Amino acid sequence: MSCQYCGIQPNSVNDISKESEQLAKVDPKDLMPLPAPYDGDEYRPSIAQLKDSSREAHPASATLDGVLAAGAPEPKTKEEEDKIVQQFISGLRKLFTKENNWTFLQPLTLSMEHCARCQTCVDNCPVYEASGWNEIYRPTYRSEILRRLYFKYVRPGNKLLTKFQNNDIELNYTLIARLYELAYRCTLCRRCAQSCPVGVDNGLITHDLRKLFSQELGWAPKELHEKGTVQQLTVGSSTGMNSVVVKDNIEFIDEDISERVGWEVKTPWDVEGADVMLIENAGEFLAWPENHGCTAVILNKAGINWTMSSEIAGYDGVNYGLFYDDVQLARVATRHFQIAKDLGVKKIVMGECGHEHKALATIADRVGVDLAPRESILTLLADIVKSGKLKLDPSRNDFAITLHDPCNTVRNLGIVQPQRDVLKLIAPKFREMTPHGIHNYCCGGGSGFAIMSGNNFEDWRNLVSSRKKFAQVLNAFGDEDLNTDETKKYICAPCSNCKGALRDMLEFYGAKEKSGIYYGGLVELVVNAMPDTAEPLLDWDMM
Amino acid sequence: MSALHGLVYLSVLIFLVACVARAVRIARAPMHLRWELQPVPHEKPGKSMYETVDYWEKTLEKNHFGELAVMIPEILLLRGVWEHNRSLWFPSFALHFGLYLLIGNMGLVLVIAIMALSGVEVGTGFGLLLTNAIKAVAIVGGGLGTIGSILMLIKRATDDGLSKFATPSHFFNLVHLGAIYVTVLLWALLDPSFVVNLSALYAGLLTLNAIPALSTIAMVHVAVVLLFFVYLPFTHMTHFFTKYFTYHSVRWETTPNVKGGKVEKNIIKNVTQPVTWAAPHIGADGKKTWVDLVSGTGEVKKEKEA
Ligand code: SF4
Ligand code: SF4
Repeated sequence: MSCQYCGIQPNSVNDISKESEQLAKVDPKDLMPLPAPYDGDEYRPSIAQLKDSSREAHPASATLDGVLAAGAPEPKTKEEEDKIVQQFISGLRKLFTKENNWTFLQPLTLSMEHCARCQTCVDNCPVYEASGWNEIYRPTYRSEILRRLYFKYVRPGNKLLTKFQNNDIELNYTLIARLYELAYRCTLCRRCAQSCPVGVDNGLITHDLRKLFSQELGWAPKELHEKGTVQQLTVGSSTGMNSVVVKDNIEFIDEDISERVGWEVKTPWDVEGADVMLIENAGEFLAWPENHGCTAVILNKAGINWTMSSEIAGYDGVNYGLFYDDVQLARVATRHFQIAKDLGVKKIVMGECGHEHKALATIADRVGVDLAPRESILTLLADIVKSGKLKLDPSRNDFAITLHDPCNTVRNLGIVQPQRDVLKLIAPKFREMTPHGIHNYCCGGGSGFAIMSGNNFEDWRNLVSSRKKFAQVLNAFGDEDLNTDETKKYICAPCSNCKGALRDMLEFYGAKEKSGIYYGGLVELVVNAMPDTAEPLLDWDMM
Repeated sequence: MSALHGLVYLSVLIFLVACVARAVRIARAPMHLRWELQPVPHEKPGKSMYETVDYWEKTLEKNHFGELAVMIPEILLLRGVWEHNRSLWFPSFALHFGLYLLIGNMGLVLVIAIMALSGVEVGTGFGLLLTNAIKAVAIVGGGLGTIGSILMLIKRATDDGLSKFATPSHFFNLVHLGAIYVTVLLWALLDPSFVVNLSALYAGLLTLNAIPALSTIAMVHVAVVLLFFVYLPFTHMTHFFTKYFTYHSVRWETTPNVKGGKVEKNIIKNVTQPVTWAAPHIGADGKKTWVDLVSGTGEVKKEKEA
């Protein structure tokens, strides 16, 4: 069935290698409807057209869906084009060798060889649904491309039998450039994987596809690689802050929070043998400084012997390697572990950052030996709050609060209850989203999207990948007046990247001004509930 | 021993060897990084290890029957399809459950064949009960499977998503399974001595003695079943046992890396392998191992300058 508005055909898998003006298009009219009062056409604008210069720089990638997140380098000659195809095949083969991909060989092979193509997983994908079921965002679409290539180039066997069982596909530069771009239309939330009866994981397939591009061709979005892991490993943080700058910033944050709570708050640095080494997402220090301030208030009040590290990467829990490159992942995680070991701390506590949780607690558990134990700030926070060490007055949080479950914290680590235990004690107007917990929907900023805003990708993120979350938020506050900003509504999102995506999403839809919807972390709500602070922590005018 | 004996034994052997080879190939893959996915049923319900302060110092409660409580309804009743793809559930359930019934029936036929070989009277009492049960299960299994195959074929051909991702083998597999179901159904319905002939076939195969002459429909049934044995291990349908790995070795694999443990030994083996990824930021040369490489930063320019 062709689209009646734009005429672009929904795709068969093999269309990816056929040259065309554009493979697919996000048509505003197809987008999933939002609940009132966001159901008007003004809440489904068109994605901005790519600038000519962007199209010229990445002409083939730009023909995927007219959006650019990554953009494949364009070959200048036929030789260069052939070389890219050969490099791709070589990377594809390496993905299935134990030396190069021991990290995920077994799960990847299982997912490649056993998909029943039953499509049971597809309706669970928030990107696919929010786009209005756009074929190229179907969870199985990009997996099927890689699967056909796998059976053609990695396990060819008998040609006829391979075609009979897995169909054929033509590999050319057009396919490669579009597939690279398509690898950045999935948030790796793994919601589809939860529903696959066979245990196939389309999120993992996308993850390993990104690795192929990064580890063999050296292609990765600059936000994740140059400005991300490389900057973190050379300068100290993906924010670009070195240790002098970060210490300055934290000093400023300490002073500010001290003034707001009315007592002195100090962040300890490089304390050997501390019980806790706190590693937060350093993005917080610039974008949401009160998150660190509140964490420091709580740890100090609870009498915890804690420290931060000023070593390179020691003060930034970000690990974007998780999203695109196992070697970079291992490099960052190894630094984190080495710093903890050198300081002789008892445990690492991971701040409110979902992907830090996944990278450090589970994935990196097998990148080295004799590793420091890791714990979530949410778990520690619940322990502190329940212990009664903090004096708390829930009536100070007398506004509507809902909770966003970050995929990496919840779907991977299964940390569901601690944050709810805290909210139960400090948030009288708390209400859940539907669904929530391990079946939550991604904020739309997962897998690095929250920090990727180049070209027109931010439009795509707000309009497509964050859309399901926005609908959930509106439904959670459905019993409140959404036509006024007088009654305040707070999305508690204990994750830096999620907050980044929510910030952009609320701004895009004008939800703060129209409906009084704000967002922030969990520690802020805890400190806001402290009755003995000089002033309430939350200042709506400043948020 | 007849040609049929040879064919049956050869088919079963190919089936077993190919399945074991696939299982071994998967099982021998190196230990991978953790990639668990909630819910993890061996953890106490609603209690991930990460929800406990200092969990590594504590003995965590395990839910020993949790995995079975998930797997049994998943395998028998296709719970995942029920929850996430309701319109496919009945066709898929009928297709799968028909097969389960026929496989279960093979066990019953084996029992009656052994009884007959041991000289136990099978025309009365328990033997008669078993005879009736075998016939009934064959009819129900064959009937259900036939309906499932037809409905699945229609779905595969007409459903937008299913047809877009269909391969020729999907249709072949459904027709093939359908042939197994239809032939057993017809054999059970048309042959008044269905169970006697079936158990004689099993007895002949077990003892290498002569197999009684079979009707055409019975011969076709045996042929399509044998073809299925030979063909199945080379298809995605092996998910009937590889599911064990996708669940137990991936989704639910949460073994922590503790000092001196099994995981640690595997890690040492993995990270001492040479790497050949070609991107410049990796810095691999075919000799450097993972351990050598993780001390790098990924910065390419500076490495060149140096
Ligand atoms: S990934 Fe799973 S649910 Fe999705 S089509 Fe494949 S087998 Fe079916
Ligand atoms: S991982 Fe998430 S975003 Fe990606 S295909 Fe699956 S459900 Fe969709």
